[in-house]
This record gives sequence, C-alpha cells and structure tokens, in this order.
Amino acid sequence: MAITTRSLLDVERLTISYEVNKRWIPAVRDFHLRLRPGQIVGLVGESGSGKSTIALALMRYLSGNGRVESGGLLRFAGEDLLRKSDAEMRRLWAKRVKFVPQNAGAALNPSIKIGPQVAEALKAADAIDGDAAYDTMMRVFHDVRLADPERVAERYPHELSGGMQQRVTIAMALISNPELLIMDEPTTGLDVTTEAAILDLVRGLIAERGTGVIYISHNLGVIAQLCERVVVLYAGEIMEEAPVLDLFQAPRHPYTLGLISSVPKPGQSKRAAPLQSIAGNPPALTRLPGGCVFAERCAWAIDICRDKRPPLEQLADKRAVRCHRWEELSQPHPPTPSPRHQMPAIEIAGRGTTKPIRRPAPDAKSATEQAKSPSIAMGGDLEGGWQADETLLRADNLNKAFPVPRSLRELLARTAPSPIRAVDGVDLHLRAGRTLGLVGESGSGKTTLARLIIGLEERSGGKLELLGMDVRNHVRDRSQDVLSKIQMVFQNPQNSLNPYLSVRQAIRRPLIKLRRFSPAEADAEALALLARVNLRPEYADRYPDELSGGEKQRVAIARAFASDPDLIICDEPVSALDVSVQSAVLNLLAALQDEHGSAYLFISHNLSVVGYLADTIAVMYLGQLVEVGEARELFQAPYHPYSEALVSAIPVADPRHSTARILLSDDLPSAQNLPSGCRFHTRCPRKIGEICEREEPPWRPGDRGHLIRCHIPLEELTSLQSGSNPLEKAD
Amino acid sequence: MAEDKPGQAGDFSRVIVALQGMISAQLRHPQSAAGTLAVAFFLLLALFGPQLAPYPKANDQRHDPRVPPTLDIGAFQLGEHPFGTDRLGRDVYSRVILGAGSIFRIAGLGTLISVLAGSALGLFMGYQGGWVDEVLGRVIDALLAIPALLLALVLVGIIRNLQFEAGSWQAALADNVILLVISLLYIPIVARVARSTTLDIKTREFVEAAEIRGESKFYIIFREILPSVAPSLVVEASLRFSYAIFLVASLGFLGFGARPPSPDWGLMVNENRGGFYQLTPWALEFPALAIAILVIAVNLMSDGIRRAVQKGA
Ligand code: SF4
Ligand code: SF4
Repeated sequence: MAITTRSLLDVERLTISYEVNKRWIPAVRDFHLRLRPGQIVGLVGESGSGKSTIALALMRYLSGNGRVESGGLLRFAGEDLLRKSDAEMRRLWAKRVKFVPQNAGAALNPSIKIGPQVAEALKAADAIDGDAAYDTMMRVFHDVRLADPERVAERYPHELSGGMQQRVTIAMALISNPELLIMDEPTTGLDVTTEAAILDLVRGLIAERGTGVIYISHNLGVIAQLCERVVVLYAGEIMEEAPVLDLFQAPRHPYTLGLISSVPKPGQSKRAAPLQSIAGNPPALTRLPGGCVFAERCAWAIDICRDKRPPLEQLADKRAVRCHRWEELSQPHPPTPSPRHQMPAIEIAGRGTTKPIRRPAPDAKSATEQAKSPSIAMGGDLEGGWQADETLLRADNLNKAFPVPRSLRELLARTAPSPIRAVDGVDLHLRAGRTLGLVGESGSGKTTLARLIIGLEERSGGKLELLGMDVRNHVRDRSQDVLSKIQMVFQNPQNSLNPYLSVRQAIRRPLIKLRRFSPAEADAEALALLARVNLRPEYADRYPDELSGGEKQRVAIARAFASDPDLIICDEPVSALDVSVQSAVLNLLAALQDEHGSAYLFISHNLSVVGYLADTIAVMYLGQLVEVGEARELFQAPYHPYSEALVSAIPVADPRHSTARILLSDDLPSAQNLPSGCRFHTRCPRKIGEICEREEPPWRPGDRGHLIRCHIPLEELTSLQSGSNPLEKAD
Repeated sequence: MAEDKPGQAGDFSRVIVALQGMISAQLRHPQSAAGTLAVAFFLLLALFGPQLAPYPKANDQRHDPRVPPTLDIGAFQLGEHPFGTDRLGRDVYSRVILGAGSIFRIAGLGTLISVLAGSALGLFMGYQGGWVDEVLGRVIDALLAIPALLLALVLVGIIRNLQFEAGSWQAALADNVILLVISLLYIPIVARVARSTTLDIKTREFVEAAEIRGESKFYIIFREILPSVAPSLVVEASLRFSYAIFLVASLGFLGFGARPPSPDWGLMVNENRGGFYQLTPWALEFPALAIAILVIAVNLMSDGIRRAVQKGA
C-alpha cells in the first residue's frame, strides 16, 4: 500500500439534523474528516454522540426525517456526494462505497442462501455472473477466513453463528473491492474471541487492498487496536482528533481523558484504586448548552466554558481539540479539577463523580487467608483448607438440561433427542463478602448457572446450600428467608424496572415484602437507599422512562440491596451502559459491597470488568468450569488454554499493546452434542493429542487455590505460555 | 408528559396518564376525532334518550300513521314528526333516539364483560403457561373456529325456544341471551390478545425481579404485568365494541335480537322492509342510517385508539 496524500473522503462543516415533533434538531454539528486510501479512522463516542448518524449521512442513507444542512461539504474521490442523484448513489453503493452494519443477522436476507445473496452483490457491482462469480466469491470467502466456504454458500443466514454472519457481510462488502468502507460497530454483540478474529481480519484486508475505512465504535480498546487516527465525538461534536498513539498517550481533551481512564485495563483491580468516571449524563440534543457541550460534566469547566462554545483548534502535530483550556491542561502541572466536583455525596448524587470512594487499604489479611483456603474448591478431594464458616453459598454438581422437543422422525422412531446440557456438573463455593467473577463466551452456560442459583430456572440435578441451609429448586418454593438473602441485578436496565411503577414503588416493595417494614418505614428506607446509590431524593417520584440507563441501573441496584441480601447476582450489569457510566456503576458496586459485606456473583463477558471487581474468577466453557483462581491469577500464566485465548483477545485500550492473539474458530460446539473428552478440544490451540478427545482432563491444583482443568501439567503450561503473556508486555 | 408526577397516587396512575395521552392524540387526527365525537353524541342519546325524545312512550303512543318526515334541514326545523311515523303511527324520531339506549347497553355491557373476563383469563393463561395454557388454548381455538353469526343464531334459537318459569334465573338468562352470545364470542378473542401480550411481558426482567422477591401470582399478574398489557387491551376493547354494535344490529335485523315492540334499530329495519318499504321508506331508512353512522364512527374511533397506542408504545 503506497502512502498517498490524495484524500479519499473529505468532510467539512457537516451538520445533520433530525426532525422531531416538527422541530429540526441538529444531531451532528460541524463535523470534519479526512480519510486517505488505506487508512482506518476511528469514530468513538457513546450513545447519542451522533456517530451512527454520521455514518448514515456519509452513505447518504439518512431516513426521511433527517437531512444534511447546506453549507457542508462531502467529497468522495473528488466528487461532491451531496449533489449526486439517487441513481448515482446507488451505483456508488453497488461498487465503490460499502457499509457494514452492526447487526449482520438483520442485514442478510433470511430467505436467500448465502451463495446467491453474495453473487447478487457481485453482479450489481461488476456485472460478473456464473462461474467467474463463484470463483470470486470463494476467493473472498477464503480471504475473510470462513471455514468451509462451499458449505457456507449453501446455507441460510440463520444457520450461521453471529461471527460467521459478520464475516459474510464483510465478504459482501469487500467483494467489489470498494474504495471506502464504513463499519458501524461491526463487532458489538460478538464474543471477545470472535471480535479479536474479526479485527485481525479487517486489519489484514485493509493493509492488502488500500481501502479507506471509517470504523465506528464505542469500545476504546477496539479503536486503539485497529485505527490510525481517532475522532472523539460527544453530543454531536468533535471533541478531539488525533493519531491513535498521541490520543491514548496524551489526551488533550478532558472528555477523552475521562473516557480513557474510566475503562478498566486487564489486570486492574478495585483493590488498587477506584476507576475514574465522568459525572452526569450527556445533554439532551433538544437542550444543548450555549457554551461547551461537555461543560456540565467537566471537572475543569470555568465561566468561559459555559458562555462560549470552544472552536475546534488545529494543533501543530496533526491534532485538533475543542476545549478552551487544552493548553493549560496539557502543561506538566495541570490545574486541579474544580471543587464543584467534590461536593458531599448527596449534592453530587446522580453524577457519580470522580470523587474517590472510601475503601479499606488492600487487605493483607485476606491475602494470607486466601493462601491457605481457596474460596472455591472443586470436587471432594480438593476441598483442602476450605472452612465451613466462610462459605456463604455452596453448589455441588449443579446440572441443567433443557429438554429438546422431539421431531416427527424421533417420535416415530421412539427415540428422544439428547437434551441441551447448559450447565453440567458445576461445583462452586462462594465466600461471604467476596466477589466471584464468572466469565465465558455466550453459550458457555454462565447465565443459566446464575439463574439456577437464584431459582429462576429449575436445576435438573445437584445441591445448593446457603449458609448451610438447603436451598429449594425454584424461587416459588423458597422461604422468605432464602429469598431475602439472594437478590439479583439484571443486565438490561431497560427491562429491569417496571415502566408503570415509580422509583419509590420499585424500592419500597422488597422492603415491605421481604423485610416486613411498615409503609412509613419503607418510605424512609427507600430514600436512604436512593442516597446510597447516589441518587437525589426527588428521583423517588420519577418513572423509569425519565431516567438514563445508568440511573435505571442504580435504582435496580438499590432495589437489590433493599432486602439486605448476603448474595447479589449481577448478570452483565454494566454491559448495556455507556463507557463513562459503566465505571461509576462499578465503583458503586464496589463501595456498596464494602458497606454491606454482601457477596457478588458477577457475570460478564468483559474480562477486564470482571478482573476489576472480582476477588476470584471462574472460567466457564460449555457448561463446565475449566479454571478457577484468584482474580490476578487469571491474567498470568499458567492459564487454561481457553482462558489464555480469552485474555489474549481482550482489546486493550492502549495502542502500544500488541499481543500474539490466540485465535479460536467461531464455532462453539452445540451443547446438545458435546465433544468427548475435554470439551475444548475442538478449538484448543494447545491440544496435545488423542488423549484430549478421549479422556476428561483432571483438575490440576496450582498456587493459592488456583485450579486448571487440562491434560497439560501446570509447569508445562507455564513454560508454554510465559513467552506470550499479554499483560507483561502492556506494563 | 415528563412533568407529570402523580407521585404515590397508585400503580395505575401511569396507565391513566397514558390514556389521557391517547385521548389527546385522538383529537389531533380529524377522522378519529369526528368518530369519537359521533360516538359521544350517540352515547348522550343512549343515556338521556327518554329525556330527549319528544315522545318518550313512543312504543305505545299512536299518531296518524304513515306521516312523512317533517324534518327540514334548509329551514332548520324539526316539525311534528321529524322522521315521520311508521305504519302503526309511532314516531320514528323518538324510536330511533330510544333505540340508542338498547344498542349501547347490550353492546357496551357485552364488551365490558368480555374484556374483563377475557383479560383475566388471558393474563392467567399467559403467565401460568404449561398444560393449563395448553388446554385452555385448545378450547379457545375450538370456539374461535365456529363462525360468529352461526354460533349466535344457534344459541339464540335454542335458548329462546326453551320455556322458563317467569322470574327464574333461566328466564333472566334467556332475556339477556344476546349478552351471553357476545361474551361467549369475544371472551376467547380478548383472552388470546391478553395472552400473547402477557407472554411477551412476562419475560421482562422486572417480572423476574418480582418473582425473586416471592410475590404472589396474583400480585405479579395484576400489579406487574397488567399495566403493560393494558394499552393493547384498550385497543382490543374498542375493536370489540365496534363489532358488538354490528352484531347486535345484525341479530336485531335477523329477528333474533330484541323482540317487538322494543325500539331496536335492527328490528325496526326488519319490520319495515319488503312491501312496507314502499309505504314508509323513512321508517327503514332512519334506523338504518343510525346503524351505519354508529358503526362507522366506532370504527374510526377504535382506529384512532389503535394508532395512538401504537405510537405511544
Ligand atoms: S471547554 Fe471548558 S468545559 Fe469544555 S472541555 Fe474544555 S475545560 Fe471542560
Ligand atoms: S485438555 Fe487438551 S484440549 Fe483440553 S484444554 Fe487441555 S490441551 Fe486443550
């Protein structure tokens, strides 16, 4: 790829408005961008930042209620796109400009097989048909590393996994050799392992072909790993634009700084320090402030920030920043953040400020304790130093098999289909006041395991004990006592609160029901709980649709704490939240745990988040645990080969960090038809041979209760893996 | 709606706020506003018919027979018999006004019964699931498979022909057979709507949150799920009402509805067709017109309600 100065895409003064209730709301204002062939420029922003709107406008895909305001410039390869007729645009879309959407499943036509669908795209682009088309298609399928391309071409979209679907849409986009590719969150919603593979693919393909790419994401890690330049968007404006290294090493804008420091790095732990977070919520586009759009949440805001909108200043080193105070802030001794952001907790309620949260010093006591007693022990003989009084919850051999309805043929043949074994023989010990992190890809059974423990799903076998009491199978059969001791925070704040109940009603109910408070007591306690999750008392009378995602999750957390439980199951509690809000919620969870001494079972697909909050981590694969140990153990050798792949796939928000990724195939075996021997053997890069297919691997104990289930002895694993420790390189 | 803070006014205050929003959305759309106004007008007639009709005892009061309508829109006057008199000398205008009451009472009450019972049944089936849902679902499917009018005719025919002791409950039932028919026809339909919406809502996490604090089935169904199902029930109710009006009028016309001499619109059309139509066309035309206007108006209204609800959802 030759470096040219010719620009592929020039965008200047682009303002995009949407019509809402007969008013035109400028969703994106004054956007600039320049893209060279072969360059990957990242657009980062949270929801509402306008990043997807920009993608649509660049494609001229805006819906009827959106328009590009006059005065802007949008030039692609020297041609003015804004002047083009629809027919001309269609020709561009067919060949030269392509779009890869987030949801590949929805982008593919469900009723047409993959082969004909891709062939159609090729025909539209190059008028190639027949055998030549088939060959081209197979070549591109091969390029996007679709395993078994001939068979894929014969399948319908729903028969492919999410990762494979996304590969197909990328193949469809690349097949016409486009000059410009716009990718809108193409890996969001995929597992880290799949995401890593797709990022690798995009990087390689772009380097080969010299396509210009605009890559849109909310995930700083992905951006850091992939892009050459980065544009940071906030509330529809560019805050900062810079080459990727400069941006991550020396952010100039307070928002960028806040974003970067609010993502936990792999291996970062709550014991060291709370995460930084950005106070408050983004402004509503209908009520934009007159000055800097970030002023309300900025710790450095001064009077001028609120009165005058800062211009996008071009800096010397190919950077641009929109902030009145960037010069002062980039000095070796920047001004201290304003005291406005260090007000007492109630005042800053709802803003989850950068205020450090009080937590005890990293406790040496517990470290030694842990050394002699693993908080989780597997199987009878490994229980070792485990002591009964520390255990809060103990699960023995938990099982869940979902029956599969018989097909007609099975009915006639009188055979039963094998059930889906979502959870298959899991032993867990949870200690009081501790956090157990549970990680694994989707389909690993981690959510089912959580639902068995809370009783929303009935277990097919195994035993569950809470503080030595036997716990009944289903919530409906459990005593009030047990119910009040285990609570849950759900993934999707959108659905976890009843839209027709006010915040007060939502929090009061568990107090009255489980703690038998009188209505008056419950009212007082509800307000106290609100204060504890940093929400002002007036939130009590609001309804869920008046709250932001982060605020809803705070209410859900308050509701879970209402019964003063010993164990809270957190199922992906931050994955639906924006980055800047995530860290505030994580800090809150850590702080509440200090106060209440509740234990958490924390489930997430995001290893850095789990690593930050958890004391111990369990890695799950196809219904079984494969590794258990202290949180920091997860990020250093020896790992279970599966954990190794997971850790290496984490997109680290640091462009200097590069790992030899361990790529896994997209195909998770079906839980209905589990592989023999070691379940991971179909994808394991370290498979040692036939023994892995034949025999179930043993649990191998390591230091401090660390357990790994693999045929390879730990010493050997360590020596195999120590060369490739991703974190050592990062430090 | 953001500044609306009903506070602790009860769990359903949000539903009421949503309904208010629906009504105002209704008025913004000219067709549904016209429909709603027309329905409101007929409702007034139904409520205050005896006060509004010039001859509240029109059934017994005889005037000169076959007087043509005296209504004169140009001169803006009603005259003695605005819609004329029928062949028996009864004032058609008064009878049409009085007829509004009977159609609203039967259709309205029938709708109310079906919506209440149907919703409860559907909510229960949807939340409970399992074999209960399976069995009840089959029964509902079976009922829905029978053509509505046929079922109505058969039922009315059978019950009408039975002889009951005056004052017994069977006799009361026979008198309200149309109500029974409407309920039987519409309860399964409403139940099906309530059930499918419940199936969707019950997987929401707030329902699971209620389950893990050990709420009773009753609480979960009525306090957690019902408010979210209510909007689709409101739409269904308005739709049911418009069908019920049509059904009542049809049964009356076929002679299976109200019995003479009650001032039922369908019955009035029936009594004045054939050879009588040549004599007193107005005695058929005005009640027929009333039926047509009311059916169209109710349809426009329910259309508007559906639109408002879907927009709000
Ligand atoms: S202009 Fe002011 S408020 Fe805006 S980011 Fe800069 S310092 Fe903060
Ligand atoms: S047992 Fe074999 S297949 Fe399984 S993780 Fe270990 S090396 Fe890989």
